[in-house]
Amino acid sequence: MLIELLLAVTLASAFVVFLAPDRYAAKLATTLSVLPIIGTAIMWLSFDASGNALRDGSTIAFETQQEWFELGQYTLQWHVGVDGVSFPLLALTTVLTTLAMISSWTPIKEDQSQFYGFMLLMETSLIGVFVALDFFVWFIFWEFVLIPMYFLIARWGGPRRKYAAIKFLIYTNVGSLVMFIGLFLMVLNLDGLTVLSLPAITEAVLAAETLGEISLLGIAAFDVKAVVFLLLFLGFAVKVPVVPFHTWLPDAHVEAPTPVSVMLAGVLLKMGTYALLRFNFTMLPDIAVQYALVIAVVGVISIIYGALLAMAQRDLKRIVAYSSISSMGYVIVGLVAFTPHGMGGATFQMVSHGLISGLMFMTVGVIYNATHTRMVGDMGGLFDKMPYTVAIFIAGAFGYMGLPLMSGFAAEVLIFIGAFESAVITAAPLVTAMAMFGIVLVAGYLLWAMQRTLFGEYELETDYDLGRAPVHDIAPLVVLIGLVILLGVNPDLIYQVIQDAVSPLVDEGLATATVAVDVLGGVLR
Amino acid sequence: MSVPPEYYLILSAAVFAIGVFGILVRRNALMFLMSVELMVNAANINLIAFAFFYGNLTGQVFALFVIALAAAEVAIGIGIILLLNRNFGGIDVTEAVTMRW
Amino acid sequence: MSEIFSTAPAIVLFPLASFLIILAFGKWMPYRGALAGIVATGFSLAVSIWVALQMALDGAGPYQETLYEFIAGLEGEGVTLTFGVLFDPLSVLMLIIVSLIAFLVHVFSLGYMNDEGETGLPRYYASLSLFTFSMLAFVVSDNLLMAFVFFELVGLCSYLLIGFWFRRDGPPSAAKKAFLVTRFGDYFFLVGVVAVFAVFGTTAYAGENSFINQAADMVGDGTEYTFLNLSSQQVIDITALLILGGAIGKSAQFPLHTWLPDAMEGPTPVSALIHAATMVAAGVYLVARMYGFYALSPNVLAILALLGGFTALFAATMALVKQELKQVLAYSTISQYGYMMLALGGGGYVAAVFHLTTHAIFKALLFLGAGAVIIAMHHEENMWEMGGLKDKMRVTYLTFLAGSLALAGIFPFAGFWSKDEALFETLEHALGGADVLFVAYGFGLLAVIVTAFYTFRMVFLTFHGEPRTANAEDPHSIGWNMKFPLVVLGIGSVLAGALNMGVIKEFIGENNLFLAEWLDGATIGDEYGTAEFALSYGHYGDLLSEYAGYEAATLSPLGPGAIALGLAVIGLGVAWYLYRAPEPEPHMTKLGGVRTVLMNNYYQDEAQVWFATGFTLPIARGANTFDQGIIDGLVDAAGGVSMYAGERFRKIQTGIVSNYAALLTLGLLLLLVWLGIDGGWWF
Repeated sequence: MLIELLLAVTLASAFVVFLAPDRYAAKLATTLSVLPIIGTAIMWLSFDASGNALRDGSTIAFETQQEWFELGQYTLQWHVGVDGVSFPLLALTTVLTTLAMISSWTPIKEDQSQFYGFMLLMETSLIGVFVALDFFVWFIFWEFVLIPMYFLIARWGGPRRKYAAIKFLIYTNVGSLVMFIGLFLMVLNLDGLTVLSLPAITEAVLAAETLGEISLLGIAAFDVKAVVFLLLFLGFAVKVPVVPFHTWLPDAHVEAPTPVSVMLAGVLLKMGTYALLRFNFTMLPDIAVQYALVIAVVGVISIIYGALLAMAQRDLKRIVAYSSISSMGYVIVGLVAFTPHGMGGATFQMVSHGLISGLMFMTVGVIYNATHTRMVGDMGGLFDKMPYTVAIFIAGAFGYMGLPLMSGFAAEVLIFIGAFESAVITAAPLVTAMAMFGIVLVAGYLLWAMQRTLFGEYELETDYDLGRAPVHDIAPLVVLIGLVILLGVNPDLIYQVIQDAVSPLVDEGLATATVAVDVLGGVLR
Repeated sequence: MSVPPEYYLILSAAVFAIGVFGILVRRNALMFLMSVELMVNAANINLIAFAFFYGNLTGQVFALFVIALAAAEVAIGIGIILLLNRNFGGIDVTEAVTMRW
Repeated sequence: MSEIFSTAPAIVLFPLASFLIILAFGKWMPYRGALAGIVATGFSLAVSIWVALQMALDGAGPYQETLYEFIAGLEGEGVTLTFGVLFDPLSVLMLIIVSLIAFLVHVFSLGYMNDEGETGLPRYYASLSLFTFSMLAFVVSDNLLMAFVFFELVGLCSYLLIGFWFRRDGPPSAAKKAFLVTRFGDYFFLVGVVAVFAVFGTTAYAGENSFINQAADMVGDGTEYTFLNLSSQQVIDITALLILGGAIGKSAQFPLHTWLPDAMEGPTPVSALIHAATMVAAGVYLVARMYGFYALSPNVLAILALLGGFTALFAATMALVKQELKQVLAYSTISQYGYMMLALGGGGYVAAVFHLTTHAIFKALLFLGAGAVIIAMHHEENMWEMGGLKDKMRVTYLTFLAGSLALAGIFPFAGFWSKDEALFETLEHALGGADVLFVAYGFGLLAVIVTAFYTFRMVFLTFHGEPRTANAEDPHSIGWNMKFPLVVLGIGSVLAGALNMGVIKEFIGENNLFLAEWLDGATIGDEYGTAEFALSYGHYGDLLSEYAGYEAATLSPLGPGAIALGLAVIGLGVAWYLYRAPEPEPHMTKLGGVRTVLMNNYYQDEAQVWFATGFTLPIARGANTFDQGIIDGLVDAAGGVSMYAGERFRKIQTGIVSNYAALLTLGLLLLLVWLGIDGGWWF
C-alpha cells in the first residue's frame, strides 16, 4: 500500500498547492514534496524485491494487483510495484523534484501556486510511470506527464516558450502514438492474453516463438516481432531522445525555466530509456540481439553527434542539453550489450545522469539568475564573484566528463566494460572504442565553456550587479554534488539491486541469441 | 387501388428540388427558411405516402414529429433572421460572413 | 608478514585527510592550510621510509591486499572492480619520492606563495594535498582500474593547480590544454583497461591470476580471436599500446607533450611537483609497474624505445632557444622522461626507475631553484633579464648548479649514473640482437650533447656574467623556507647516484648496485620473484629474454659511460665558450629560420590547435548547421506543412451559407452517382 499512499499524498499535495495562496505556495509545496522522499526512504529500508518485476520467479516489492474493469476481452488491472530497476528511478524522481522546487524559489515569481501545483502533479505522474506494472495504468501516467510539462514550459518559459512547448507536446505524443500502435500490434497477435499487465504480456511474448508475419500492401512480408520492436523503439527514441529524434530537446530546455529543465533532463528522459528497457529489451530480446549492432551504432551516433553539437553551442543551457543527448547514447549502447555490466551500467547511468544533468542545469540556472545571460562570451571571470556556485559548476562539469569517484565514471566504465565484451554486438570492441571517444569530446566543450565563463578577467555584458547566490540556491547544488560523489565512491549502494533486476534480462537475451559470437574467443568468461 | 407510389415520389422529388434550388440561388434569409420548409415537407410527403402504402402508422407519426420539429426550427430560424437584420442591416445571407476563418 | 602493512595505507590517507580539513577549514587555519599539508606529507614521508626500512632490514613484504570493493555487483555477474594496495620495492621507492618531493614543495610554497601574499591559498593547499593523495594512491594501487581512477584525479588536480591564477588569461587556457591533451591519452588508456578486463577478467598487477601472468601464459597459445582474427600476441600488443597512450599523455611524450610547457603558467612549486614526482612521473611509473606485460611484446618495446629516444632529442632541441627559465626546464623534463621511456623500451627496467628517482630529485631542485630566482627577480622569468646572480644568491646558485650538473650528466652527479645506465642498457640489448635499439641509442647519445649545452646556457645566462637589469642588481632575498628544500635536494642530487653505480660495477661488484638489488627483491620475501608476485627485476629479465628476445651482449659499461660523459662535457664546454662572457651574445639568433622553428616548437601547438579549432570545431559547426537546417528543418517542416495546408483548407469556409449549401448538394449528388455506379443502376 505504500505506493498508493505515495501517489495519493503527492496528488493531494498538488491540489492543496493549487488552492494555496501564491505567497505560501513555494514553501508549502517544498515542504509537502519532502513527504514522498520520506516515503521512498521508508520503502528503501523495507525493500525486498529480487529479480526483474516483469519476469517469472521474481519478488516485486510493495506489489498490489487488483482487477479494475473489463474492456472487451481484456481485464484491466490496477497493478503496481517496484523492482531494482524502477526503485532507483523512483527515488531519483522524488529527490530531484524537491531540489528542483527549491531551485525555483528565485526564478519563479508569477502564479506560484499553479507552478508548484503542476510540479507536484508531474511528480505524481512520474512516480506512476515508474511503479505501474499494468500497461493501461502505465500508459495513463506516461501520457499524463505531458500535461503538466506542457503548461510548465508554455507558461513560465522563455520568449519562444509556446513554440517549444507545442513542439515538445506534439513530438512526444506522436512518439507515444507510434509506440501504442506497436504495442497493440503485439498484444493483438498474442493468443490467450486476457490481462494487460506487463508481466503477463512479457510472459506471453517470450513464450511465443513468432507472432506471424505482416505484409505491407502485399509488397513484402515482415516479421511482426521485428515490426513491433521497431515501432516501440521509434516511439521511445523520441523520449530518450535518440538522434535523429532529438531536436525538441534543446528547444524545450532553452525555453523551460531552470527547475523544469532539471526535471526534463533529470527524469523525463529516463522515462524513454526505462521504457526501452521494460519493453524492447525485456519483451523482445531476440530481436534486440538480432539487430544489436544496428542499435549500438545508433547509440554511438547519438554519443558522438550529440557531443559535436554541444561543441558548436554558445548557450550554456544548450551545451548541457546536447550533452544530455550524448550521455543517453551511452545508455543505449549499454542496454544492447546484453552483459551484466552493460545493462546494469546503463541503468546506473540513468540515475547518475539524472543527478549530474540536474546539477548542471541548476548551476547554469543560478548563474543565469544572477547574470541574466547564459551566453558563453557574454561573461567571464565569474569565479571571483560567485565562488561557491562556480566551484560546484566545476565539480559538476568534471562529473559530466566522467571523473572517477563521481557517479558518471562508475556508470560509464561499467557500460564500457559491458559493451566491450558483449557477445551480441558484432565487432563490439571497435564499437565500444568509438563510443568511448565521447569522453574526450565532452571534456573539450565543457572545459572550453568553463574557461570562457568562469575564469579570466571579470566581465559581464548585461547590466546586473553580481552578488553571491542566496543559500537556497546553493543548497540543492550541494545536495546533488554530495549524491553524485556518494554514488561515485560507493556505486554498489544501488548497483546491486539494479544488477539483480537486469541479470534475468541478460540471460534471456543470450539464450535467444542465435547469432551469438564469442567476440574475443575462449578467454571471455 | 389508388394513386401509385411513383406519383408521390415524383411530387416529393419536385418539391425537394424546388427547395434545393431556392437554397442555392436565393440570398434572402426568409426565402432560405421557406426553401428549407419545402424540403422538409418533401420528406413528409414521402413518409405519409409510404405509411399509407404499407398500411403502417409509423410514417404518419414521424411526419407529425417532423412538423413539430419544423415549427421549432422556424421559430429559431426567424429569431436568427431578426438578429441578422439587427446586426447586418439586412437579411442577405451572403453578407453575414464574420464568423469565417 | 609484518603488521607494518596494516598501517601503511595511512601513507595515502594523510594527504586525503589534510585535503578534507583544508577544504572545510582552510580559511581559519595557520598559514592557510600549509601547515596541515606539511604535517600530512611529512607523516607520509616518515611512514614510507619506515616501510622501506622494514622491507630492507626485516624482509617484510611484498604485500598486496584488496581494501575496498568499488563495484562488486552480483556474484558471478561480470567482473569485480576493486581498490587495493600493493607494497613492493617499486611502489615503496616511489612513495618515498612522491612524499619527499611533496613535503619539500609544501615547505617551499610557504616562501613562494604565503610570503608573497597570494590570495586563495586554502584552495591552493587543498589542491596540493589532493594532488599528493591522488598520486600516492596511484602509486600503491594494485590494479589497473584503480590506477586509472587516480590517474584521472591527478589530471583534475593538475587542472586546478595550473589554473590557480585564474584571473589571468594564460593559466586557465593552459589548464584546459593540460587536461584535454592528457585526456586524449587517457582515452586510449581507458580502452586498454576495458580491454584488459575483457580479455583477462582482472586488472590486478600481482597474484597468481594477475593479467600479467595470464598474458605470459597466453602468448603463443595459438588462440585466434573472432574479432579481426587477432592472435593472442596481437591482442597483447594492442592492449599494451593502448595503455601506453595514457603514459604518453601524462609523461608528455611526443606527440602529446605540448601541454607540459604551457603548464608553466601554474605556480612554480606546482611545476616542481608535476614534473618531478607526480603527474609526469605517473606515465613512466605506469609502464614500469606493469613492465611484465610490456616485456611480452617486442614490437611495443621497440616503439617505446624509439619514441623515448626521439622525444629525448626532439624536446632537447626545443630547449636550446627558449628564453624563459621555466620553459627550458619544461622541455628538459620532456627530454628526460624520453630517456626513461628509452630505457624501458631498451630493456633497462632498473635504469628507468633509477632515472625516475634521480630525475625527481634534481628536477624538483631545478624548479624550486628557478622558483627562488623568480621570486628574487620579482616574477621575471626571462633569462636575458637576469645575469650575475651567483654572488647574490649563494645557496640558490650552488644547489642549482648541482642540479644542472646532474641534469647534464656530469660525473659524479646523480644524473650521470642514471642516464648512463639507461643508455648502456639500451646499447647492451642492441648489441645483443635487437637492432632497432641502435637507432634509439643514437637519439639518446645526441640528446646528451644538446642537454648539457642548454643546461649550461641556462646556468650561465642566469647566474654568471654581469647583472643585466635593475632587478638582477638587487634581487629580493629568499627565506629559510625556500633554502631548506633546495639544500636537501641539492645534497640528494650529489649523492643519489650512489644508489646504483652501474658504470663501475666491475669494481664495486654487482651486489652493491643497491637499486637493482632492491628492485630484484633481494631484501624481501622469496615470493617476489615467483608467480604470485611476478614483479621482480630478475623475473622481468627472464621475460625479456624469453618473449622479447632481448639478450644482453657482454660489454664493459666503462666505455659507453666514458662516451656519454665525453659528449656531455663537449656540450658543457660549448656552452661555456659561448655564454661565459660578462655580457653574453644571443648566439641562438644566428640560427635564423631554424631558431624560429624551434621557438615555435616545430609548430606542433599550432597543429594541435588547428586540430581542435580548425578541424573539429568546423565539423561541429557543420553538424550544428546540418542539425538545425536538415533534421530540425524536417521536424519544423512537418509542422509547417500542416500549418500551411490548414491555412489553405480553411479558406473553404467562406462563411457564405449558399456556398455551404452548394457543397452539400454537390456532395449528395456525388454520393448518388457513386451509389448508382456501385449499385449498377445504369449499366
